[in-house]
Amino acid sequence: MTSNTSNSGAQTSSVWKARWALFRKSAAANWALFAENPVGLIGLGIIMFFFLLVIMHPILLNTVWDPNIYNPINGFDPQSPVNPSPPSLRHLLGTAPQGQDILSQLMFSARNEFILAVLAAVVTVTIATTLGAVAAYYGGIVDNIIMRVVDLVIMVPALSILIVISGLFELSIVQLAIVIGIISAFSASTVVIKSQALSIKVKPYIEAARVAGGGDFHIIFRHLLPNLMPIALLYMMFAVTGAIFSEAVLAFLGLLEVDMSWGIMLNTTRTLGYMLDFNTKWYLIFPAGLSITLLSSAFYLVGRALDEIVNPRLRQR
Amino acid sequence: MSNDNVIEVKNLTMEYSTRKGNVSAVDNVSFSIKRGQALGLVGESGCGKTSIAKSLLKLLPDNAMIQQGQIVLNGKDMVPLSETEMRTHRWSEISMVFQAAMNAFNPVYTVGDQIIEAIETHLPKVTEAEGRAKIETLFRMVGLAPEMMDRYPHEYSGGMRQRAVIAMALSCDPDIIIADEPTTALDVIVQDSILKEITALQENLNMSMVYISHDVAVIAEVSDRVGVMYAGRMVELADTEEIFIRPIHPYTYALMQSFPSVTGPKKELISLPGEPPDLLHPPKGCRFHPRCPNRIEQCDQEQPEWKDYGNNHFCACWNPMEVN
Amino acid sequence: MWSYIGKRVFQMLITLVLFQIATYILIDLQPGDVTDLFVGNPNITAAERQRIAADLGLDGPLYERMWNYLTNFYTGNLGVSMVQYPRPVGEILAQRLPRTLALFVYATVFSFWFGYVAGKFLAWKRGGRWEYATTIVGVTLYTIFTPLLGYILLWGFATKLDKWVRNTFGIDFDLPVSKFSSTSLWRKAPYDTNTVFNWMNLNFIILVVIVLLAFFLSRYVPRNRREFLRVASMTVPFALSLVWWIFFSGVGIYAWDLVIHLFLPILTLTLISFGGNMLLTRTSMLETLREDYIETARAKGLPEKIIRNRHAARNAILPVWTALVFSLSSTISGGIITETVFSWPGIGEILVDSVSNSDFPVAMGALTVIGVMTLVAHLIVDIGYAFLDPRIRVH
Repeated sequence: MTSNTSNSGAQTSSVWKARWALFRKSAAANWALFAENPVGLIGLGIIMFFFLLVIMHPILLNTVWDPNIYNPINGFDPQSPVNPSPPSLRHLLGTAPQGQDILSQLMFSARNEFILAVLAAVVTVTIATTLGAVAAYYGGIVDNIIMRVVDLVIMVPALSILIVISGLFELSIVQLAIVIGIISAFSASTVVIKSQALSIKVKPYIEAARVAGGGDFHIIFRHLLPNLMPIALLYMMFAVTGAIFSEAVLAFLGLLEVDMSWGIMLNTTRTLGYMLDFNTKWYLIFPAGLSITLLSSAFYLVGRALDEIVNPRLRQR
Repeated sequence: MSNDNVIEVKNLTMEYSTRKGNVSAVDNVSFSIKRGQALGLVGESGCGKTSIAKSLLKLLPDNAMIQQGQIVLNGKDMVPLSETEMRTHRWSEISMVFQAAMNAFNPVYTVGDQIIEAIETHLPKVTEAEGRAKIETLFRMVGLAPEMMDRYPHEYSGGMRQRAVIAMALSCDPDIIIADEPTTALDVIVQDSILKEITALQENLNMSMVYISHDVAVIAEVSDRVGVMYAGRMVELADTEEIFIRPIHPYTYALMQSFPSVTGPKKELISLPGEPPDLLHPPKGCRFHPRCPNRIEQCDQEQPEWKDYGNNHFCACWNPMEVN
Repeated sequence: MWSYIGKRVFQMLITLVLFQIATYILIDLQPGDVTDLFVGNPNITAAERQRIAADLGLDGPLYERMWNYLTNFYTGNLGVSMVQYPRPVGEILAQRLPRTLALFVYATVFSFWFGYVAGKFLAWKRGGRWEYATTIVGVTLYTIFTPLLGYILLWGFATKLDKWVRNTFGIDFDLPVSKFSSTSLWRKAPYDTNTVFNWMNLNFIILVVIVLLAFFLSRYVPRNRREFLRVASMTVPFALSLVWWIFFSGVGIYAWDLVIHLFLPILTLTLISFGGNMLLTRTSMLETLREDYIETARAKGLPEKIIRNRHAARNAILPVWTALVFSLSSTISGGIITETVFSWPGIGEILVDSVSNSDFPVAMGALTVIGVMTLVAHLIVDIGYAFLDPRIRVH
């Protein structure tokens, strides 16, 4: 690929066409590898299932469900005055202690989880790849400072910091996602991405780009970062798992002021003392608890499947 | 065949089953080795030399199977033995010097401990002190300082490690030792001294040996008898001098020509065109025929017979080099 | 070796101070101070408030207050709780520290050991239904929402199992569902809970030291007695201490009370870390089995058991041990959740509690203690690695 930016428009577009074709080809090959692995497909299936719930929720509220009854935050069904009530045809997963429909709560919360997950993952990967690439490329004092900060953050349990932060400030989902993203960026992901960047840095084409007169900025963004993307994608998946888990824990501990989430549902169950009534009140515990487990494990499974593509030595022979 | 043979391999055939099909790595190979004799196996990489070595110890991966043949070690056929029965024969009767000596030692134990371990397993009556005394002798024999036995493998240099591997192979007084390219990873000077040591040890201890190498010069130096392998088959087998003077198979001839001789007369090196065949789909008839300069019609039809050319010289070829 | 440890301790102290500075700034970012409590009080004027703030040292610049905090901290003064006024933070934390420490250490040791053993056998017997089942169990335990697991165990043990034991054997087992001890039982006790608890921990440490010593010394014992020595070191002292606790200590019943309270939290935390350790050991073991020295061991004719334990598993443990650096933090996080789920009064529980009640001196103290715990655990893991890997040990 040329490092000369003063190409004519037509040439540039043809370069991009070639790149697109290359990308499509490698994407198809990688998909074939991914599809070979049942683990990754199961994970992808679970993620798609929850995504379907997110899409279905507004549609249901505008068609089949009466918004007053099925509102996930303050809905109440006059026909079932005794709450919580077990699953019925009217409320497929029963109602919460304050009368909301549990299925509706579940679907509404899924949207929040996806917002959180995507945002936290993007923040993590952006910071981690930039830090990793910069540390590997410049080395020396820059590398030293970045790695000492990473050491510091790795050493401290993230959850305890999150607990204190969410006690100090009232965080929205978006703010929480950014905080989680930053904390999980300064961790294993930066270390691994940096070591990957170090191995790319010594490749001949980096040398070639430098000889051709490419500046630091150009080399980092055009040559280093694109090659770090696969491993960054992998750590994105693990960051998502962490983000969903942390949000759920904070909400469960009652430290989060969001309108509704799976963790909040469990917190309500806990504070009202229904947690030990598994036989009769299972519908207050399992739907939310399993959703958290399933969605975070789905991203973990996809991550593991990607791991086998990114690290070929893990592939089974 | 007489009874002073330490090992007799008869019609050994070994296959790997892979997803794409069966790979015949060793096909119908026979040879025997007398006490104190060194057999050199030579051939290009991927021709089945290492597969033979692993078959002799029955040290095969899960997807490999000995399809037919016998490996008679000290009068007993090893092929039908179970893994547990085989274990008692390994190292005490047949041991091995590995190709990658760098990683042949477990990094977390001292070298001495790893040798003692083998002695403990096969000679349970030997006490720890006797075992250590034995290792001291072995270390002196291979040219290592005895106190090195309490060091870890990472404290050894490449050549030292190879010496230690040899000492370990000798630790249980085996009747036969298999050396699989033991000097390939070393630099030339170390290579030479280790080669000399191996030959000396083998002669002094009156041990039999299978020496595997792709290097004709090395084979010429260490072995009494040479077997030439091509694509999983043995194509020629004769005493060392005989085979160098009178190569019969065109492949053997080409192999001899492709290595320079320092002392001999100047000659043009001939390199063989083409590559060894894909063993998933080996060529019909003689496996060498696509590259053979002496090819005749018969070659791609039928497998050549294993014929005796006198003077204990065997070869499988339809159109042999001129026999005088 | 000693210079290495010294260097690491020094690094650790620097990290700790940096951590404290960071948390102090974080808490300082919150608007207002303690005197805001008096804003609605007509008896206290604004001038009065300023005087109180000055008395408390709250009016100085950030660095001055931080300096005061740090010097106080390192002279043993962690401040006073605002909710349990005027109890010193140090006292609150000192009471809870041994419990959290014990929970963390037991869970880490058990999960590491069982995860290692399970992963070892899984990799050795590859394929089949077993592998599928255990991988599913491993991934489930690794990703399950910690409180959910806690409550499932609570339900299973404290409700279902209790009922079953009562119906089948007629014994009232009564596994407790929360708290550290039964208050009614301990009212007549000759010692307080922490004293008995610390004796128990001391006993555990002695047992571990004996086993480690036996394994170390077994090298110097004739071959045929090694196995005996190892098995004996694991069983005899354990049996002896059981006998002592039951018949001679005089506080057996109190110790038992602590044990049954500790059971479910430890089980929860162990299971959570177990999954990850098992999966990692399995992967690592599969990698190790491809190494050349495993083939050497086979060629030497060593028994399968020795190849598996002495050669493969011994090397496979190295990456799992390294991964402890990352999993320690997650175990401590899991401990915070577990303590809260079981209302088990440790450092994690007081952290959540104090944050919910805006008791920031306690929160800050708890956070620092958790930080110190993680740092020390990391140090121990690092030093342990040097013992496990001779390539590191020598340099």
